[in-house]
Amino acid sequence: MSVRVNLHPNLHQFTNDQAIVEVNGNTVGQCLDDLVKQFPQIRQGLFGKDGKLLNYVDIYVNLESSYPEELAKPVKDGDELHITLIIAGG
Amino acid sequence: MLTRSELARYDRQIMVRGFGVEGQEKLKQARIFIAGAGGLGSAAATYLMAAGVGMIRVVDHDMVELSNLNRQVLHWDEDIGKKKVDSATEKLKRLNPSLKVEAIEEMITEANISQLVAGFDLIVDAMDNLPTRYLLNKVALEKNIPLFHGAVYGFEGRAMTIIPGETACLKCVYRGVIPGEKFPVIGVTPAVIGCIQATEAIKYIAGIGQLLANRLLIYDGLNMKFTEFRLKKDPNCEHCGQLVRGKK
Repeated sequence: MSVRVNLHPNLHQFTNDQAIVEVNGNTVGQCLDDLVKQFPQIRQGLFGKDGKLLNYVDIYVNLESSYPEELAKPVKDGDELHITLIIAGG
Repeated sequence: MLTRSELARYDRQIMVRGFGVEGQEKLKQARIFIAGAGGLGSAAATYLMAAGVGMIRVVDHDMVELSNLNRQVLHWDEDIGKKKVDSATEKLKRLNPSLKVEAIEEMITEANISQLVAGFDLIVDAMDNLPTRYLLNKVALEKNIPLFHGAVYGFEGRAMTIIPGETACLKCVYRGVIPGEKFPVIGVTPAVIGCIQATEAIKYIAGIGQLLANRLLIYDGLNMKFTEFRLKKDPNCEHCGQLVRGKK
């Protein structure tokens, strides 16, 4: 299952400045696992020390929020993920 | 009732189909609470004032600093060291002297927020931190006041409109907190987002158009791209989970 992952600009530092990465997986969690496999440094930008998704990371599947239980959400070939981070500046 | 001077002043927007004299009269009656006189607040307040919103209350507790001036366009070089609310309201009054602008130099807290927003029709979220944004969200829901959210970071901005009891609220979308930090920002980014917030507020008051309700708009200035995420109310949301419009 090939899925396109659009990464928030603050995560590009972990992907050699790639904004979009192709991953494989049947769920959001599997896609993130593949992303981490390709770019191990990105783990610190997505997961806490407890292995849980950081609470300021939001994931959208085909432009719809995947909350709650984001990691279990199924994805199919051609789906698009957006990984965003909360911003708060004014 | 609009005066002859007001009919002339707002002629171009009264000409807008669907807006008209009726829309202008609604703006004149409106009372808007603007939380923050920084980058977002500067843009939103300027355009709401220019549009003829009858009364604006600006709340901020900061002083103007040199490093604010790349984006907080209500504050000028001569204002460094002044209270932001004084600097902002002085410009806003000069922009449109017939309207009311009120400056409140206070930090928005859980203790004072209910009183600060009492009697206002809309809240514009122009803050620079999440904890205060969550306070605004909560009070907006409690008092049934629409909330116009905006936030910026670097070249990125986002906006959404929250109608209590009807749409996803800020807490349905954001659950976490991020550490307080000095955030990077290109000066034009809050101008874009502040103007989107002002546009939403004007549409809401006039009762026209389609609001950014259940939609999170992401502006990527670096690639000049807008993305829209679809949102849903979270039935377990700690702020709005049990809320039905009109019932608090």
